Amino acid sequence: MKKLEIDWTRCDGHGLCGTLLPDDVWLDEWGFPVLRGREITRGELASARRAVLACPALALRLAATVNRDSKGSERTVPTSHQ
Amino acid sequence: MTILQETPTPLRAIGEPRLLAGLQDGRADLQRHLQTHGPLPELTRESYSELATAVGLRGRGGAAFPVALKLADLPARGIEAVVVNGSESEPVSRKDRLLLTMAPHLVLDGATGLARALKAPLVIVAVHDAAAAASVRTALLERQDGVEVQVADTPGRFVAGEARAVLSVLEGGPSVPPGRKVLPTRKGYHRRPTFLSNVDTFAQLAVLARLGSHEFSSTGLISEPGTQLLTIDGSVERPGVVETPTGTPLEALLRFAGASQGPVLVGGYHGKWLPNDSSRPETSGGAGIILALGTDTCPLGEAHRVAQWLASQSAGQCGPCVFGLAALVDDFERLLAGDPAGWHDAQRHLGLVPGRGACAHPDGSARFLVSALEVFDDDVRQHLAGGCGRPVRGVLPVPGGKW
Ligand code: SF4
Ligand code: SF4
Repeated sequence: MKKLEIDWTRCDGHGLCGTLLPDDVWLDEWGFPVLRGREITRGELASARRAVLACPALALRLAATVNRDSKGSERTVPTSHQ
Repeated sequence: MTILQETPTPLRAIGEPRLLAGLQDGRADLQRHLQTHGPLPELTRESYSELATAVGLRGRGGAAFPVALKLADLPARGIEAVVVNGSESEPVSRKDRLLLTMAPHLVLDGATGLARALKAPLVIVAVHDAAAAASVRTALLERQDGVEVQVADTPGRFVAGEARAVLSVLEGGPSVPPGRKVLPTRKGYHRRPTFLSNVDTFAQLAVLARLGSHEFSSTGLISEPGTQLLTIDGSVERPGVVETPTGTPLEALLRFAGASQGPVLVGGYHGKWLPNDSSRPETSGGAGIILALGTDTCPLGEAHRVAQWLASQSAGQCGPCVFGLAALVDDFERLLAGDPAGWHDAQRHLGLVPGRGACAHPDGSARFLVSALEVFDDDVRQHLAGGCGRPVRGVLPVPGGKW
């Protein structure tokens, strides 16, 4: 399964993703995207990919679902465990 | 109860000290270190894993990640480096600096012993404190470790102490966390497998290697035995670093430090507030930092000062963190002045900050501010009705500029 992810060090709040994916992204009062955080379904994958390519800052990504350990620190699931 | 002698950062112990043992008369050179602790047994990688599993040792840097899991995540060979993260960036915490300054050999034992067991050719000690760096360099002149040990200076900003930011600096990059979430055990120093943990963890490993799991577990909690180092500060008679068995009740720690009545902040400036004594739930002081506020300062004003500092520490790369924390400082300012819109805006902004940055700084900062609004809800009401009548005394230490 895939989810949208933002590299916050790159995103500069162009807001384009909010326009392209209104169901998955809304924009906060400073123009930065807020992700709804749900899984991207198979049918939505194509438009999500388009939005990823459209992001002028290369900040938007489609990533495999991430799990969190009990303390909340984020771990990317190694490919071998997916 | 052992009371150790006063030193620049006073250090004391409840019960028998382990990490702070032998430091009564000051810094332990190699001779004093060996007299106190004896030589480090040469253990295999398997033994370190077994020991860490047996005592449930967790990283002592804040994330509390199990050491055994970190070891298990490393590949069988090709481990590039063991990194000692001594860029303690929580402004109130002094335990890591204290260990490097007073007991450098214990920390180096832990790091070099593990490096040899992992067949890692390099140990890097990342520090941002001049005295700590000098102490480690002096200690290295006395030792022969069979692995290369480098001391690297890192900047002292809050976020610069984050593990991935430290790795970035070590490679000559900026001291900010990278946008991608990667595990140092997979892609650490030079993008190669790296074991990174904080100073305290390595000192614990050096003690554990000597004591074995049975003796190590003779004190503290059953689930996570041993001792812990805590920094106690704020409105207390005896501030400083204390070594206590794990699970020591918070109230006992506060009494030990001579804390005045009033709310308590546990876990530092990414931590949480606990209300006044009577209504406080029973808890152990395991979060590394305990700050007593006392009752004669304006709690919201104190939180506002810390918020200003937290905002200034944002590494400036992620929009929601930069704009969100700045907005929150402004919200708290208006709330203090009695403007109800300040309270409403703060509630909204506190929902927009967590989880929206490259590191945990926005999350931790929001946690601190959310709990301030919850625990100090009476004070919020007083401020909205004209003020609480107390000055802001600056009980919570906030570093001015560079520290
Ligand atoms: S399009 Fe890219 S840069 Fe613009 S807001 Fe979305 S993620 Fe950020
Ligand atoms: S979340 Fe904030 S502190 Fe962390 S890297 Fe981004 S801007 Fe810096």
